[in-house]
Amino acid sequence: MEIQKIEVAKNPEIEDAIELPKKRSHDEVEDCEEQQQQQEAQEDEKNRVEEEDELRNLLLSDIGDLPISPPSATQVNFVTYFITDFTKSGHDQYIYRHANGLCVIGLAPTHIAFKDEGGITNIDFNVGKSDRSVLKVSGKRKKNALRSESNTALCKVSTAKDTYIVRCCVKGSLLEVNDRLIKQPQLLNASADREGYIAIIMPRPTDWTKNKESLITLEEYKEKKELSL
Amino acid sequence: MADETKLASGDSVCLPNGLVSHGDSRTRRVYETARSLHSGAVKDLLSLGVCERCIFRLIPVEAFDSDVSSVSTSTLRSWLESRDDETGSLESSCSRICIVCLGILQFVFSDAKQKLVKTDTSSDYAARITELVKQDRREFDSFGLEVSVPSIIIENERAVLSYLKGKYSNESWLQIKKISVKDALKVLVLDPLRASLGAKSDSSTFHIRLTYSRASDGAQGASEKTHESKRRKTDAENGSNCISENSFEKVYEPCLLSVHCNKMPIFFSGRYFKYSRNVSQSRWIIDDERMGEASVEEILGGNILPACLGDSYKFHAAGREDIDVRMLGSGRPFLIEIQNSRQCPSEQSLKEVEEKINNSEKKLVGVKDLRCVGSQCWAMMREGEAEKQKQYAALVWISRPLEDKDLNSISSLIELKILQKTPVRVLHRRSPLDREKIIHWMKVEKIKGNSHYFLLHLCTQAGTYIKEFVHGDLGRTTPSMGSILGCRAEIIQLDVTDVKMGDS
Repeated sequence: MEIQKIEVAKNPEIEDAIELPKKRSHDEVEDCEEQQQQQEAQEDEKNRVEEEDELRNLLLSDIGDLPISPPSATQVNFVTYFITDFTKSGHDQYIYRHANGLCVIGLAPTHIAFKDEGGITNIDFNVGKSDRSVLKVSGKRKKNALRSESNTALCKVSTAKDTYIVRCCVKGSLLEVNDRLIKQPQLLNASADREGYIAIIMPRPTDWTKNKESLITLEEYKEKKELSL
Repeated sequence: MADETKLASGDSVCLPNGLVSHGDSRTRRVYETARSLHSGAVKDLLSLGVCERCIFRLIPVEAFDSDVSSVSTSTLRSWLESRDDETGSLESSCSRICIVCLGILQFVFSDAKQKLVKTDTSSDYAARITELVKQDRREFDSFGLEVSVPSIIIENERAVLSYLKGKYSNESWLQIKKISVKDALKVLVLDPLRASLGAKSDSSTFHIRLTYSRASDGAQGASEKTHESKRRKTDAENGSNCISENSFEKVYEPCLLSVHCNKMPIFFSGRYFKYSRNVSQSRWIIDDERMGEASVEEILGGNILPACLGDSYKFHAAGREDIDVRMLGSGRPFLIEIQNSRQCPSEQSLKEVEEKINNSEKKLVGVKDLRCVGSQCWAMMREGEAEKQKQYAALVWISRPLEDKDLNSISSLIELKILQKTPVRVLHRRSPLDREKIIHWMKVEKIKGNSHYFLLHLCTQAGTYIKEFVHGDLGRTTPSMGSILGCRAEIIQLDVTDVKMGDS
């Protein structure tokens, strides 16, 4: 694959090094010494250029097939699950599970809230007994995290028409809620599957194994909803 | 003095008429020092049961040095005692364990079999130690000597000193700092040990440790100790005069001596390259299955260890990269720590190790500048990790075609501050924090024939998560490549192209 070298990372040091020998050739008295220094500088320069070329070759030769649309980071790093009609009809949510066990929860594209005209206009994390957006989880051991059951309420999303409760779906520790949604609820309408995620939950291994049984895969979800995503 | 006949190794002979003839200038010096010590103090200390060498330590007229080691215990005693008309009971005092050093400076100790060992001169003592060291059957050219003594010696010494202060308050030698028992022993035996072991002494990696411990250790010993220290404390509070000869009425047992040899780890530094996207930095095993096909740690350690004939190795690197990220450019600094090495590899053999790794069939890892370093290597590692800038090349895909104005909008961002929430992929084991990082500069390199992919060169602060900066980590890193370009961005692969460290 050829690379168009329009904007090569210019290393400012190279330019300085090239100028040096020119300046020194003026002084006759210290010619010998300077010639030696020149030679050394040029050799250093040569080495550096060689190393840089080697580096470029390494960088560029490793570029293989470039598919038109590569898999996204979410697709590569997470396994996608769905849960449909959770506690209520039309309440469809996704659960992205990372290899490290963490689960990212959000609204699936078929969630009933998206059907209302104007989409989601507001989100409120103050549900249940506390405001989820003010919880401060700290430390490696995730102190102060809310222990949630799968039906623990996460937040309320409102449209022009109605308000819907979003629940955890996964039993575990609530590590984080996406508080950017408070100021920017339109993220839910634009990219509910990425920047519009709702929360991150850390389940215990045993809890997850049990939980998993009530979840369906992407394929099953597609079938169920008879959509081609 | 009258007779200046040359005698064997510096010892002196006590002639019937009280005159002494000397072997060489060293012993003569010691003799003269012995004579110049305050006679009253010497007499007191002798009768208290303080040994000869401790007397030399505690009444420091001259600096306590290795000359003292050239004289045997019995000779020293005769010099110190013969100053008085009363000869005193020579035998009984000789066999008494010193109340300060517990026999350590008298070269008396109990061995592992609880047998009493008495040596008169420092060379005899050195010979005994050598026997014990040789049992370990190790080879070494040089050694470092470490000594450990029971803590009660400090209290003993303090008591004796305050007694002396009480009695001889105005003497000048009271003010001079006294050499400790530990240091005195080292001074006395280092030269004889050098000769006897046939090795140099320096702060080398091979250490010989002489550990003296009290024979009667345990519950009884502890209560004894607190009792004594309580008593001495009150005496000190009431004034030094209260410490009389009676406070010291104790018969001590000699200490138990154990000799241990220990080889300190040796270190190798260098820079490594990782050419494979399937090699982890350190050995990574989950549920008995190895992640990746090899690890940098095992390739480097596994090749250096045999060259040192060591037992095991530990790998330390200045920072780390993911398994799927290549380490190119100038390489990443690392340290290999070898435990219990039996030989230090030559420059030639280190070169061979380098070549073996660099010319291996699979070309997974490369190494350069491999050399043996001293313990100052840690400072080098520490400074490399947190402070320095790192340079990367990332292959990026965006959801819309790249335009020329994008090149400018990216390269114009200098010292860009970004805020990164702990990435989801490490959130399970790291604290949830917001980390502010700096992207020093960025440059876009177009790829011919493809407007959705480009090579992004960037230089960032240490600790920046590059992958998350590109794909945004669900919006938890802002700004991100996607938010800057106003579209979706994904990172296909990443290479580290430089790890700057100080001047190298």
